[in-house]
Amino acid sequence: MNIRAVGYELVVFVTQWGLMLFGFGVLTKFIAPVNLVSPSISLGLYFDAAVKGLIALVLSVSWLFIWDRQVRLYFHRRGK
Amino acid sequence: MASLGANTVAILIALGSFPVSLALTRFFMYWNAKRGIIGIDVHKLNRPKIPEMVGVAVPITLVLFAAIYAMVGGSSSIPLLAYSLVVGLAALVGAVDDRLKMRGIFKPLLTLLCGLPFLVLGLTFPGQVYTSTLHVPLFGGYHLPVIYPLTILVAVSVTSNTVNMLDPLNGSMAGGISIVAGGLLIGSLLVGAGSTPVFLYASLMFSLLGFLYYNRFPARAFAGNVGQLSIGASIGALAILGKTEIASIVAIFPNIQNSFFFLSRIRRFTEHRELTSKPTKLQPDGTLADSEDPRAPLTLVRTLLIGRPAPENEIVSTIWMLFLTSTSLAVITLLLTGVPR
Repeated sequence: MNIRAVGYELVVFVTQWGLMLFGFGVLTKFIAPVNLVSPSISLGLYFDAAVKGLIALVLSVSWLFIWDRQVRLYFHRRGK
Repeated sequence: MASLGANTVAILIALGSFPVSLALTRFFMYWNAKRGIIGIDVHKLNRPKIPEMVGVAVPITLVLFAAIYAMVGGSSSIPLLAYSLVVGLAALVGAVDDRLKMRGIFKPLLTLLCGLPFLVLGLTFPGQVYTSTLHVPLFGGYHLPVIYPLTILVAVSVTSNTVNMLDPLNGSMAGGISIVAGGLLIGSLLVGAGSTPVFLYASLMFSLLGFLYYNRFPARAFAGNVGQLSIGASIGALAILGKTEIASIVAIFPNIQNSFFFLSRIRRFTEHRELTSKPTKLQPDGTLADSEDPRAPLTLVRTLLIGRPAPENEIVSTIWMLFLTSTSLAVITLLLTGVPR
């Protein structure tokens, strides 16, 4: 078994796991409870959901970007 | 104690899926080989011909046991019906792809539709299939009345396709996902989940172990898209049914990494068979090595081979170890999330 590769992957997984919990925490505590678009306006509920979905999407893309950088750092560098 | 009793019954019934899956796998090995449904194991020097689409044994077992549990387990049949429809539809998409060799883009698009039974039955029978509250580890949860139902379709499509993409070596998918199902079964038992998700996780794990017996190195049966897509859809459906959404994402970290790096390099949905630049190469001594092709995707298998060629069975063991790691994190996630309601 490639112990070193497993070790690198372990670091990546634990880092991404921690970031994921942090991101969901941010969404739960700060984004979800706030009305970003007034629910009183027409389709306000849907616009509010869309904006929150967009924020979640940005967080997800950032999360994947960090994952990408980590794998490139650990594995691409070794391949060169 | 009542819950413990119901869970014990659920696991005992699910245990039956192991011999059934084993027997069905054996049956389809002969049936498919006789009808010329075979693939070539390209990671062996002698390139043996192996029966393809044998993974159909798993969705058949899953649907059969869901029906048995609905009849004898005393559980509500609506979630089991929704689950069976999702798994069955994904298997159908996989079977069509296996026979017609569709273009890469069609699989994610068609698997988007596989989540529809969850959505329709969930809206028809509120609270029985899904609840729109996402439970978050440590921080409680939040209600998503608009976004949650929409993500069901995406979730089933993503899990089925990501599982489909990480089955390049003998036993890598069946072993990996049985570890995921086993871990999430343990986690669900620890947090006191209902007997239906406990049964379905156990059934998935035992079915996969039955198939793995013939799919392990050196493989005598290949899952095919029919097996891979339905097993992935099963993970997605169970994440929603068992309220293990975040834990399930964590458990399939190896799949996510593999798919993400494949897509980020190729930049389109395509089939492995259509790739001109292969990530790995078979060496004259039978070991696998990094192809060193800069245009090839950085798949999970390739990351494990950079600078160090290895035999196929050793790579599969390493992949299983990665699944064990991610699944351990998933169990911790479930414990931090608490009791699903």
